[in-house]
Order: sequence, then structure tokens, then C-alpha cells
Amino acid sequence: MEKFEPVIVAFCCHYCAYTAADMAGSQRLDYPPNVKIIRVPCSGKVDAIHILKAFERGADGVYVAGCLEGDCHFKNGNLKAEKQVQYLKKSLDEIGIGGDRLEMVFMSAGMGELFARKAKEMTEKIRQLGPSPVHTQLEQQAKQKAS
Amino acid sequence: MSNQLDDKPDNRVLVVGGGMGGIRTMLDLAESGHGVVLIDSARSIGGLMTQLDRTFPTNNCDLCTLSPHLSQSGRQARIELLTMTQITGLEGERGAFSVTVKTAPRYIDMEKCTACGECYKHFPDCVRFTPGLDHRAPTCMRYPQAIPQAFSIDMAACKDVQALVDICPAKAIVPNDTEKIRTIECGSIVLAPGAKVFDPKGLDYLGYSSQPDIVTSLEYERILSASGPTSGQLVRPSDGKQPKKIAWIQCVGSRGIQKGAQSYCSSACCMFALKEAMVTKERFQDSIEATIFYMDMRTFGKDYELYLQQAKERFGVRLVRCRPHSVIHKQGAEGLEIQYLPEGQSQQVYEEFDMVVLSTGFLVGDQTREMANILGIDLDSHGFAKTGSFTPVATSKPGIYVAGLFESPKDIPETMVQGSAAACMAAGDLTGKGSLSNQDEDFPPERDVSGEEPRVGVFLCDCGENIGGVLDVEKLADYAQTIPGVVVAKGVGHGCSSQSMESIASIVESQKLNRVVIGGCSPRTHEKRFQDTIRKAGLNRYLLEMANIRDQITWVHAAEPELAAKKAQSLIRMAVGAVKMARPLADSTLPMNKSVLVVGGGVAGMTAALELSGHGHKVYLAERSAKLGGNANNLRKTLEGEDVRAFVNGLVEKVKAAENITVITSAIIVDHSGIPGMFRTGMQVGPQMFYRQVEHGVTVLATGALANRPGQYLLGKSNAVITQLEMDSLIEDNPEKVKSWLNVVMIQCVGSRTPENPNCSRICCQAAVKNALRIVGLNPDARVFVLYRDMRTFGLSEDYYQEARQKGVIFVRYTQEAPPKVEQGQDGCVKVVFNEPVIGADIEVEADCLCLSTGLVADDENNEDLAMIFKLPRTKDGFFLEDHVKLRPVDLPIPGFFVAGTAHSPKNIRDSITQAQAAASRARTMLAVNEISTNSAVAKVDGQKCAACLICVRACPFSVPFINAEGYSQIDPARCRGCGVCAAACPAKAIQLMQFEDDRILAKLESLFERMVA
Amino acid sequence: MDYIQPFNRILLVGCNECVTVCSAGGRKEVGLLSSALQSAFLSAGKSIDIKEHTLERQCDPEYVEELVGMMDGVDAVVSMACGCGVQEVARRYKNKPVFPAVNTKFMGASERQGVWAERCQGCGNCLLGITGGICPIARCSKQLMNGPCGGSTNGKCEISKEVDCAWQLIWDRLKMLGQEERYLDIIPAKDWRTAGGGGPRKIVREDLAG
Repeated sequence: MEKFEPVIVAFCCHYCAYTAADMAGSQRLDYPPNVKIIRVPCSGKVDAIHILKAFERGADGVYVAGCLEGDCHFKNGNLKAEKQVQYLKKSLDEIGIGGDRLEMVFMSAGMGELFARKAKEMTEKIRQLGPSPVHTQLEQQAKQKAS
Repeated sequence: MSNQLDDKPDNRVLVVGGGMGGIRTMLDLAESGHGVVLIDSARSIGGLMTQLDRTFPTNNCDLCTLSPHLSQSGRQARIELLTMTQITGLEGERGAFSVTVKTAPRYIDMEKCTACGECYKHFPDCVRFTPGLDHRAPTCMRYPQAIPQAFSIDMAACKDVQALVDICPAKAIVPNDTEKIRTIECGSIVLAPGAKVFDPKGLDYLGYSSQPDIVTSLEYERILSASGPTSGQLVRPSDGKQPKKIAWIQCVGSRGIQKGAQSYCSSACCMFALKEAMVTKERFQDSIEATIFYMDMRTFGKDYELYLQQAKERFGVRLVRCRPHSVIHKQGAEGLEIQYLPEGQSQQVYEEFDMVVLSTGFLVGDQTREMANILGIDLDSHGFAKTGSFTPVATSKPGIYVAGLFESPKDIPETMVQGSAAACMAAGDLTGKGSLSNQDEDFPPERDVSGEEPRVGVFLCDCGENIGGVLDVEKLADYAQTIPGVVVAKGVGHGCSSQSMESIASIVESQKLNRVVIGGCSPRTHEKRFQDTIRKAGLNRYLLEMANIRDQITWVHAAEPELAAKKAQSLIRMAVGAVKMARPLADSTLPMNKSVLVVGGGVAGMTAALELSGHGHKVYLAERSAKLGGNANNLRKTLEGEDVRAFVNGLVEKVKAAENITVITSAIIVDHSGIPGMFRTGMQVGPQMFYRQVEHGVTVLATGALANRPGQYLLGKSNAVITQLEMDSLIEDNPEKVKSWLNVVMIQCVGSRTPENPNCSRICCQAAVKNALRIVGLNPDARVFVLYRDMRTFGLSEDYYQEARQKGVIFVRYTQEAPPKVEQGQDGCVKVVFNEPVIGADIEVEADCLCLSTGLVADDENNEDLAMIFKLPRTKDGFFLEDHVKLRPVDLPIPGFFVAGTAHSPKNIRDSITQAQAAASRARTMLAVNEISTNSAVAKVDGQKCAACLICVRACPFSVPFINAEGYSQIDPARCRGCGVCAAACPAKAIQLMQFEDDRILAKLESLFERMVA
Repeated sequence: MDYIQPFNRILLVGCNECVTVCSAGGRKEVGLLSSALQSAFLSAGKSIDIKEHTLERQCDPEYVEELVGMMDGVDAVVSMACGCGVQEVARRYKNKPVFPAVNTKFMGASERQGVWAERCQGCGNCLLGITGGICPIARCSKQLMNGPCGGSTNGKCEISKEVDCAWQLIWDRLKMLGQEERYLDIIPAKDWRTAGGGGPRKIVREDLAG
């Protein structure tokens, strides 16, 4: 079997995490290409449905990246996001996907290094967990269709 | 470009020089409602920076960051550009100058030239931007993104004029073009002519003229550059092989010793050598060795010390403290031999390198001296324009200002700051009023795309090597073409160059595209420009999506090109999926509040307040303490000997006398709300802590820094130990005591450049030299020892360092590993023991006074509170972090916020004043408009779906939604900040955040996973 | 999950009234449940077809009629409305199995965002006029009618420190209103027929029912 390359979706808030990702870019800090960023104005904008849909479509991991506590440009959107993530982790356990595949991370705009590190950590963690059951099934279905 | 200005002469500024500084001045003035004529003797604007590959400390490509500024400058209607033009005469005075200028023939009709490149194609080597590295061709355009977008011809070099004329399809070549003389009426003048780079040809021992593999740093930039002669390949000029060992030699033409060299420090060379070495190491990793030979490592700018650490530790750049004696090419040897004496050794070392880069400094050009002569402004002995410590951008002639390298050697951020400061001062001399027209006036009406099937255009930038070096852009375009809905997909080179933008706009029109995807850099920096581009083409500006394939792919996945290519496909697919869901949105406006809040009543705060009030703005000046003046209250003399106390007192008087400045002392900022242009800030005032709220459109942060006072070297324990700040006062107040001293020791970098506070405090080396000179001035027999790690007397202050050495001040280097030892001595003296590296022995001095250079640190507690209240980011060491360290050094990341003085980083009074004037100028560009555009990424409620459940009302962090009379939630778009928290919380899915609608986000997810499911 | 295991095509129906307001069965929750079910089945190797629809009000036949067109393509219906909605859908579409996705618990009010508490049990004989606007039926664990039991400590109920003693609240409120004398009124034994003791209840408004 070829090496498992997890697909990871990172919802990044515009003001901090997305800027940190740009910063990681300008500092040329390598991180795994598995991470795909979706920009949102605030991590509090990330709707539960976005996260569930990502898993439904086959994401192996998802993380929401917001500002540091107290730094949110919309007061506390990051903390709302964190609560949502904690709540959804339980749902993911129930669904059978596993709450471990979802994380909340915090960083400031200047933390390019942390962005790269979190991307690495998340990718490593998901690699260890292996493909999500949905991902596995979707691939099997695709194979069946093809054959 | 040649549109005549409708502005009257009394509202017009003449800017000389189209480099970074001049462009900044021009844009600031134009955006503030003034007319500008910019002249440059070169064929296109851009200055020295256009020749650089990347710039420190971000290591970004310069053209990418510069060219949007240039295309912006090409766009401004109130700007007139005259290239190949010089000043020949000046009459009149401040407020009413009359300047005669001469424009050399270009032999091309700029109106007709479309910059199609046909002439270039037939003369393939004609791009002239590699001084010394390519041969000159008849027509030359300096660099691909040049503004103006026209070529120029060297008629003398052209042998077959008719053939050249015939080649041009636009019939733009005018062989009989002549010189033109013109008079420009203006109110003030800003000089930003830049400098030339030292030519090392005369230094035979460096071998520059005989050895092709010895290049200047600027030539090395061209070799690294994607648009350079080797298309970005790093190869040796002699044999085309990739070098394995490269040496940089610092201070070539600067700091004195060589033939024809200047005595001052060129300020920027340490950083650009580090940058070149780092970029080289980054690209070639372990297969290349980079060595820098230096005298003092002068990384004194904001966070530059961290850059130095990064070069050493992360990239393994080797640093050797030594000025090499010579570079020799030995008969038969492949490489170049450098002969040098390593520190602390007595034996010469011979080491071979494949390539040698000479870090050549700046000097004032003859043409600039000539211009200064015509204008009648005073120059110093080096040819730089004379200015004062408290009037840092004003020349000796009223109404004429200076910015950039002509003021003194400096790097780009400081040039940008001066460019803005000069704009502020020049605008102060204008008596006429300008008006600002609405931005959208130039745009065609918007095309209604509702009901149309999506027709998406995908435009992919290569950003030079930045993207193109990792991804095959053409292949990616081929892939994009296969995505359903995509009508056009193509590479556009540097997408942000005005040429590419025009081509995008014309394709949008001709192909009737109704959605556009840009695959390039970050929407954070470039979305606005591409929005303008499609708006020009008649599309609503929100029918755009950007895929950040540079910052998120090529810059970070260069090591895995295959996965990078796959990820690029994904990001493009996601962007296409999302843009299909994009909806046209209307921008709305609100009235601009033209008042200003300045936080901090030190020199920077007062200067900014006075400048802005001088331009008619109401200013609230809030100072935390009971007294205006800040740190400068404790300063007496500048390095140049000017009286700080008199200056500060004068400033306080002026502020108090100004009618439209309200000074609020003992004010603590407690809350803040609103949007840029309509802020509201609350503070507690006075001993009773009365609450007071002010309304303002912009905010200038000038909260200063703290004098550091670490408890080291018996500071606070022995009366003989003081700081440089205390020394400054002591020399003024008790010269008799100072005269009585026999031995004085100064220790540099106390509490700076340490693991706890890694940055350089920038001001201490100057302070030490200043005080040492004053001490030996009082008592020529006093022995003054300055124990330093690197003497960072950058720029013109190097002269004072040299003067101190000549006057017998003893400078001894110490290392961080072996700092001096200090203990209590006899008779109130302190005993200082330090190692003298030249003789290699410990020396013990019984010092009457030990003076510590303790520098400045961020006011962490206060800054943390303000950063929380205003939501502003800070650097690791607690200073406020600007929006772009290179190009927007006084703009903070939150629109409407500007920073000045030591709140930004440690700096002296002169630099604080410059920055305050710059902040005022930047603030004016915002205050000039009458209306502010409100965020169009706002939440919208579908009343049909709303169940009036109040969840949004409770979730909104700013209490915007309410349930209206019709029984559904209503969100005022003017107050909505666009966070989208309500949209995420709404249980009825009745709220959507514009630009981030659910279907748009879901489309991204669907597109991302499309491959896997299908 | 077990309910719908045998079916391949599910219609998930939400309601834009009370269950939306209490974040249990509105458009958003429908989307979430749909996605969660889809993922759960996929993980188990089964792919199902889930249609989503949210009605304005699931307890009114006219709104429920909207589903007619969708019924053909589905094997079962999952309702995210309250019990009333579930039953209304089941009544209208007799040949489709209908399952509840929400356990309807009580009539309550939002104490704050995300917290709901029971306030009314629909007993059909309202006492709020004499109990200071606080219902002893819904909010006293023992449904006592004439003052607290001995388990009331520091204003809290003996079953949990989280639960306020309804009678303490009643007393505080009456005191505030200056109606302490009402506390002395004896409330006679309650006739529970109106609370359901008399069989399923029905209200007919002759003027409206026509």
C-alpha cells in the first residue's frame, strides 16, 4: 500500500492564523502539504456543518486555528470556536470518526513558526491515526466504481 | 501618465527621484489630495530597489512588493511622471517655487508605445538592468514591471535606425525626438534622488576589475534574480559553474580606509550581505558555503538582531570578524584566495573561495550634488543634504525637503518612513486646497452577471522564481482549464504588474468572464488590487477568489515539488468552486470622522499632534503621566550637540498653544470600539479617574518605551555606576565632577542582545560615543574605555566614532561569553576587569565612573493593555508590530492605526520625529477622504427563514442584531464587523456572511474532495 | 441510527418554530444531523441518501403538505420537530415509517444562551396568578401546592444544589410585590383531570373551528 497521505483541512481566521500562515511562507518554514487552508474572517465563523461536511467528504483531520486568547478581533470568537470544537469532538466519537481528528489551535499573527509546527504536529498525529473510516470507505467505493 | 494635472500650483509638490522614497512621498501626497509631479533622471521609476532580488528581513521578492506600488502610481490621476528628466533651474520661494526641468529624448512616443516588446524581441539583450553584467542594447527597459511601460532607445548605439522604426507595430519610435524644457510651478519640493553605489574598480587589491568572479552585492542580486541575466541561476560569471564557496567582504567603500572610500557607514550592507548569504544557503543548502568578512555586525534595526541569529544558527552562515587584506587569483588556481588575519591570531590565513561578493556602500552622485547646487541647499562634507536633529527631513532651504539616501545612508524601511515624513512637511507648505474625487469614478458601469452561467477565468502568477521556481505554472493552467466552468486559464507572470493586470482586465472583457480566480499570493496583501482590476473590466469586485499558491505552497513546500503541484491543483479547484458561488456585493459608505487620537505625549506624540493639527484636524493628545515630554524630558544633548531640553520645552509650548489640540494628561485608555474612520475610545482621566470618551477617525500610537535598568554590574549598588542617560545629565549639571575623573569605563549592550532581550537597542553606541566625546572634551586627560560587542555607529554617526578614537577614547571588544567583571574598588571607585583581545591579556581598571549602556525596552505592561484594547499585534519583545516591516513601517495592521517613536522600536529623537511626521502623513491619506467604505463582508438575514430566536442577538460580540418590528432579526451593515459568529450560531441558517457564505465554504470543501469521491 | 438502519433513502425534516429557537431541530441542526448520519453510515460501509427539508411549522397540516413531492423518493422519514410534528407527519404520510430525532422533553424558557429550563407542564389549571408568577407544578420537584417541604435549604432543592426551591422563589417574589398574604392562601387539592388525567386533551374554539 502506498504511503498514507492524510488530507487535513485547516480553518484559519483571517487576522491571526491565516496571517501566521503567510508569515510561515515568508519565513520559508516547511510544513507538510497535507494541510489545506480555508480562510474565514474569525474562527467563530466556522460552523459545525463546515467541520462535519469536511469529514463527510473524506477529510482525515480538521483543525480550527484562531487568535490567542484575548487577541480575537471580535472579542471572543476564538473561544466560541473552541467550545464548538470540544462539542463536536464528542459527536465525532459517537459517529465513529473519532474526536481526536479535530483540534482547536491558537496563535497570533506573528507566529509563523507555530503555524508550521502545528501543521506538522497535526499531520503526524493524523498519520498515526490512519485514514478516517469515511475516507477509507469512500476510496473503496471509488475503486469499486472504477472496476 | 502624461495627463495634465488639474490641481493648481499652490497645491502641488515636485518630487525628485522615483525610488522607494520618492514613490512613497508621491503616493502619500496624492492620496492626501495634493498634486504631484515626479521627475526621475532614469528611464523608469523604481530606483535601486528594482535591482534587488529579495529584501531583508522578510526575504521577499522586491518586485512583487514594489510593483503594486508602481502600478498604483501609474493609476493616480493627480500624479504626473516625467522620466529622463532633471532640474536645471529654481526660482521663487516656499509656497511658490518655479522649477525648470529638462527632459532628455526617449525617441519613443509614450502615448503610442504599448510596451508590446517587439523591439525588445528583435534586440534580445536589450533589457538593461544589470550594470556591469550585460552588454548594452539599443532599446532598454530596466525591468519587466517598469513604469512607465515604455521602452527607451539609445540612438547613439543604434546602427540601423530605419529598421528599428519599422519593427514597432505601434509606430511609436520617433528618431528625431528632442530635448524638452519645461517649467513646473509648485509649493514645495521633496528631494529623493537616491544614491549611487560605490564602484570598487579602483581598489586593485580586491581584484574587482580583473576577476569576473568578484562581483558587487548589487550584481550578485542580479545573478540571484529571476529577471536577471542568468534567469535566477546562481552561476559563476567566469565559467558558468555553480560556486561552492562564496565570501562576502563588508565595508567596501564605506568606513574609510580604502582609496576613494567614504568615512561613514552605509548602514544597510550588513543586512543585505546577511540576506544574500541566507537566500543563497536557503536555495542551495549544504552544497554551498557562505562566509561574511566583517568589522562590526551592524544589525541595529527592528528585529534585525534576530535576523543575524537566524543567519548564524538556522542557515549556518559563517561570520569572520576581519577586514581581509586582499583577494588574489593565483596562476592556475580555480578559485580566488582571500588573505586575512583572524581575530586573536597572529598568523595570516589563506583561504580559497569560488566567488567573492563586495558589499559596496552608498554615496551621493555627482548629478545630485549638481542639483543641490542649482537649488542652493547646503550639503555636508560627504555630499548629503544638511538637516537638523529636530528637523530631520528639512534641508537648509525652506520649502525643500529630503528623503532617503540623499539624507544619509539607510535601508528601505527608513527610506519609506522619510518619504512619508517629507510628504507631511511638504504638504504643510501648500496653501491651495485639493479635493479628492470618488475612487470609483474612473470605473465603467458594472455588468449584471445574474442569471449567467459561471464563466471563470483562472490567472496564475509565477511571481518570478517565487512560484515559478517550484510549480510549473503552465501545467497548472492546463489542469485548471479542465475544471468545469473554467473558460480561460493561463499564466500571467507577475500578476500584479500593471501589464498583467491590464491583460487580465482585457481577457475578462473579451471572454465575457463573470468570475475570476487569481492563483498567486495572499489575499491579505493583494486582494484589493485584483478586485480593482476586475472592477475596471466591468465586473463587481467581489466576483473574485484568490488561491494563495505562493505563501501556502511554493514558499513552504519547495522540498516536495510533486505534492506541491498536487496541492496547487487542489487550491485552484477550491477557489474555482468557491468563486462560482460568489455574489456581487455593493459597497456602502459612512461619513469620515476627521479627528485624531494621539496616544502618548512624548516627542513623537507631540510632533504627530502638531503636524495633524497644522493640517486642520482636531487632535486629542492623551498622555498617561501628568506631564508632556516623555523620555526626552531626561535627555540633554544629541550626538550632534543640539539642546534637547530647549526643543522639548518648545514643543510642549506649541502643543499647549495649538487651538485644536486637546491635551488630556493622566489618561489611561480603558476601552475602544468602532470601525476605521469612526472610532470611539474611552479613558479614565485624572486622579479621580473620570471616564471620558473621544470620537476619532484615526489613532496614532506614540506610547514610547522604557529606559532599561537591569541590576547588573553593581548598578544601583555603587554610586560610581550610572547609565548613559544619567551621564548625559551629569555632564550638563555637574561638569566639575566629570572633570575630576581619571578613568571612565563604559559597557555596551547591558540588557540588550542577551537571551532575555535579544534585540539591539540601537541608540546606545551613539550615546556612548556622544558621552565619551563630551568627557574627553571636558578633560582631555581622562581615559575613557568603551567595552563593546559591535560598535553600531551606523550612517553618519560613524564619523563621531572615528573622532572619539582619534581623541583617545579606547574601544575594546568583549564577547558575550566573557563579559567584563565588575567589583567594588577603593575610594568609591569600581574595579573593572576585561580581556583585551589584541594583546590577549586581562586588564584591570580602577574606574571613577562605570557607565552602562542600558538602552530601551518595550513598556510591556502598558503595551500589553493597549494591544488588548486596540487588538494590535506585538513583536516578541513587546513593541508594536507594523503592517509590513519593509513597505508600511508606520502603518499598523488594523486600518486607521499608525505608530511613531519608540513604541515601534528603540530609536533616537531624530528618528522618532521622522516617524511621527511619517505617521501624520499616513494618517492624512486616510483623513483626506470624506467617506469611509464600510465592510461589505457583512452578515445578512433572510427574514423568511428567521425564527426570531435571539441567538444571533446574544452571540454578536458587538450587539448589532436586533429583532425588528416585522419580527425578524436585522443587522445594520454599517455596524457589522463581519466576524460571522451570528451566521455560525443561527439555528435556522437564516444568516449568511457575505463573501464567506456557507455554500461558498462548502463549495471549497466539495472541490477539495472532488477527486477522492469521483 | 438503529431506527433507520434498514433504510437507504431518508427524508430528514426540520421545523422552523420552537425546535429552531432551542437549537434542536432547525435548518442548522438538520444539516448537522444529516452530515453526521451520512458519515456514520459511511464509516460502517454503507452509503445512504439523505434529503433535507425544513418546514415552517411541522404541527400544521398545510405545512406538512409541502412534503408530498418528496415522499416518493424516500423509504423513511426522520423528524426533528417536537413530538407534535413527528405525529403530524406520521398522520399525513401513513405508508412511510416516521422516526423522531429529538426527544421532546418540556416546555421551558432560555435561562441564557444555550441553557433551557422547564417552566410549564401544561396542567390546564394555571396557578401563576397566586404563586407570584412562579409555577410550583413545573418547578417544585414534589409539585407541592402550599409551601416548601423540609428539604429546602438556602433556597435550593434537596434533590440538587443546582435546582432552585420553587417555593423559595415564590416567597421572594411575593415579598417583593408586597403580597406576602397570598402565601397564606390555602391552595386546595388540584384537579388533575385538566392535566391529562381525563384522557387526551383537546381544545376546540368554536368561533375558529367553524
